[in-house]
Amino acid sequence: MNDPVVKLENVWKIFGDRSSEAMQAVLDDGLTKPEVLEKYKCVVGVQGASFEVARGEIFCIMGLSGSGKSTLVRHVNRLIEPTAGKIEILGQDVSSLSDRDLRRIRAQQIGMVFQHMALLPHRSVRDNVAYPLEIRKMPKSKRWAVSDHVLGLVDLTGYEDRLPRELSGGMQQRVGIARALASDPEILLMDEPFSALDPLIRLQLQDQFKALVAQLRKTTLFITHDLDEAIRIGHRIAIMKDGVIVQIGTPEDIVMNPADEYVRDFVQGISKLKLVKAHSIIESMDSYPGSLDGAPRADESADLDALIDLAVGTDLPVVITQDGADIGIVSKPRLLRGLQGGKDERRNQ
Amino acid sequence: MSDATSDMQVTAASDVEVDRAALDKSIKDFAGPNGDYYVRVFHKIHDATGAFPWTFNIAAALLGPIWAASRAIWGMFWAFLILEIIAWVQIGRGLWGDLGADFLDRAAQQRERMQERLDQAAAAADEETRQRFETLAGNMQRAIEQNIERAEAAQAEAAGILITGVILLVAFKLMQGVYANILYEKQYSHWRIDPDHVESGRYTPNLVLGCGLTAAIAPLIIYKFTVSNSLSLLNEFPERRVSEIFLGEGGGTLFGAVASWMEDRIDAAATAGSDVFDGIVSGVRTVLDGLTLALNGSPWPVVMLVVAVTAYRAAGPRVAIFTVAAMAYTALLGYWALAMETVALVGSAVLLCVIIGIPLGIWFGKSNRAYRMAEPVLDLMQTLPAFVYLIPIIAFFGTGNPPGILATIIFGMPPVIRLTALGMRGVPESIKEAAVAFGASKWQLLKDVELPLALPSIMTGVNQTILMCLSMVVIISLIGGGGLGQEILEALQFAAKGPGLLGGFAILFLAMVMDRIVQGAFKRADQT
Repeated sequence: MNDPVVKLENVWKIFGDRSSEAMQAVLDDGLTKPEVLEKYKCVVGVQGASFEVARGEIFCIMGLSGSGKSTLVRHVNRLIEPTAGKIEILGQDVSSLSDRDLRRIRAQQIGMVFQHMALLPHRSVRDNVAYPLEIRKMPKSKRWAVSDHVLGLVDLTGYEDRLPRELSGGMQQRVGIARALASDPEILLMDEPFSALDPLIRLQLQDQFKALVAQLRKTTLFITHDLDEAIRIGHRIAIMKDGVIVQIGTPEDIVMNPADEYVRDFVQGISKLKLVKAHSIIESMDSYPGSLDGAPRADESADLDALIDLAVGTDLPVVITQDGADIGIVSKPRLLRGLQGGKDERRNQ
Repeated sequence: MSDATSDMQVTAASDVEVDRAALDKSIKDFAGPNGDYYVRVFHKIHDATGAFPWTFNIAAALLGPIWAASRAIWGMFWAFLILEIIAWVQIGRGLWGDLGADFLDRAAQQRERMQERLDQAAAAADEETRQRFETLAGNMQRAIEQNIERAEAAQAEAAGILITGVILLVAFKLMQGVYANILYEKQYSHWRIDPDHVESGRYTPNLVLGCGLTAAIAPLIIYKFTVSNSLSLLNEFPERRVSEIFLGEGGGTLFGAVASWMEDRIDAAATAGSDVFDGIVSGVRTVLDGLTLALNGSPWPVVMLVVAVTAYRAAGPRVAIFTVAAMAYTALLGYWALAMETVALVGSAVLLCVIIGIPLGIWFGKSNRAYRMAEPVLDLMQTLPAFVYLIPIIAFFGTGNPPGILATIIFGMPPVIRLTALGMRGVPESIKEAAVAFGASKWQLLKDVELPLALPSIMTGVNQTILMCLSMVVIISLIGGGGLGQEILEALQFAAKGPGLLGGFAILFLAMVMDRIVQGAFKRADQT
């Protein structure tokens, strides 16, 4: 049960006619991305990506356009063949699958949602959702029933017989999500599913999606170029830059301890109120010389927002507890620094 | 935000200083020799506020096309080379062209004949004959005088032609002087965008090439137009003499040799592959016979009823009424059987086009390499005049309806292939990727995604193919194709206006009915 559902080990993707030569050169001589481009006219898409995604986890891959995140996620269902490295889903090596097995896994274990919906324009919403089942040769009565059920999950009951073009963008993407869920797959691959939607619809869909995935317990790889979205949706986030995974961590990790300047620039504008929890900014009990009598108490999992509410009513620091026992305090300076994303450690060191 | 943006000062457009130094250097890099001159005139062009910047390039005016060549402005080189040659030809004609030469020649000939007549008159035995010859000689004398007058008039024009030539030349020179810098500045703008491919500076090989071209073209043309009896070599390509060099004296022409060689090859190929060709013909004949049987074998009321109902169902009441009227026209004028034969011909051709063309189109749509190889063949099929491939078709397949259908297929198939390929290419990658991501096999991808999405384009192709096939109906009657086309061909041979027009309208109605019904059906299919 603890085995990862998706596991990538040192995956490389080099595009171009001489990709294998270029790969060898990279491994032997450690050529950099521009050198490979110049010498072999090959583009390095992904450089040595490794990560594991646990069952039921939402794993976000965040990066700007061209950072290789879409390329990376297409390795999971082998829409793109890796140049080097190993990809396992549900304990099976994807590269070793025969064409037939690969199609079976795609149809049964992996659902995918695309940025531009990619619905079949000549089929009704119901038939679009049922298409993965049709590929598996499920009888029409059965697949229509499944399709109607899944459309209910995304609140599209009543639209089954419409054509996709009659629906708004947000509704079309919900059809896309329903299609991905139709075959009840273990894994969902979401390729910037909400990027093309306007902000309000995007927020709605994010919440709806998060609730749905939590309910259905799908293992999800979620691609986005929007850190807010990644933080809102992801249990863990991988940040990619130029084909390299720069940092993997929980949203709080990434915001509080950015691995490098690139990530730091990203997280600067992110609101920490709901994100940063008391345990990340905790100080030792001894750091406050006076008495803590009458100080407010909060659990270590309380966020900054809750801590501020407690702190404004008193001059004393907030005492942090774990399972009812006091484990430390958060002073007001510390709290304010926490709002800035732990700036003091960085600048004052 | 960052330091770079805070350093940037925002200035109103009117206050922006022109940075001459960088521009000057770039212009000098471009122009090479005489850089300073071009810096000056380009600035003048750049600073011009009016519609037309006035500059004058003396070198361009004097040297003309040669200047353009040296600066690699080839468009200007060719345009003004031709214009200047026209001017020079006029000058040459005015100066030493023997303008009245034709008339003087004629006058000289006539004088000889007049002399003959006079001699005959002198030698005449009786008065009557003598008078007759003298009258003839008198007429001749008047003709001679007329010709001499004309020659004098033509010679008098010489001055006018000379002046025209000079004026033209001066005008062209002035134009070159005025436009040279403007064109050169345009070239400079192109050069800035693409310095690797746009030529710059003064490049000696270009100068040599320009001089060479001028030297080769100008004197010959001026000589040809100025001197009245120029070398006959220049008037006509000496193909017979060239043939003699290759084939020896009395060996015939190159044309004859190549043509007879090809004929032998074709005959040999036709004999060698006769089984294959006969097989193809009998295959086509089977399709044709089936359709003919259905259309001409069934009782005419049945066919009419089916066509009318089809028209109504596919394209609505208006097309149905038109269809009925068109059928009444053909039937009343006695064209019914011929019209049905034509429909069978076109129908078999279209059927075969679709059966062969759509799979080919799918293949070309998927494989870039196959498409690149097929493209010239498709172009050839459409551009080659039908009469040209009728001949090899006769050689390989004989005459009659089946070879006619084959000729029709050659002409009619490219649209359905092209538009199928186009439709296949137009299917969005993202939708194909989605289908593959859900486990679709290649066949499922084709059947569920690519063909349905390419269908509108394929239908357009089929419709075009139908019209192209109809347009071949008359042409294939040349190799024995029957139906209405034959009727027209006969009318043409006897210049029979009435039958020709009536038959022509029958074909027109046929085409319109087929087009409307098919389009209506496709529209209906599109909507569902």
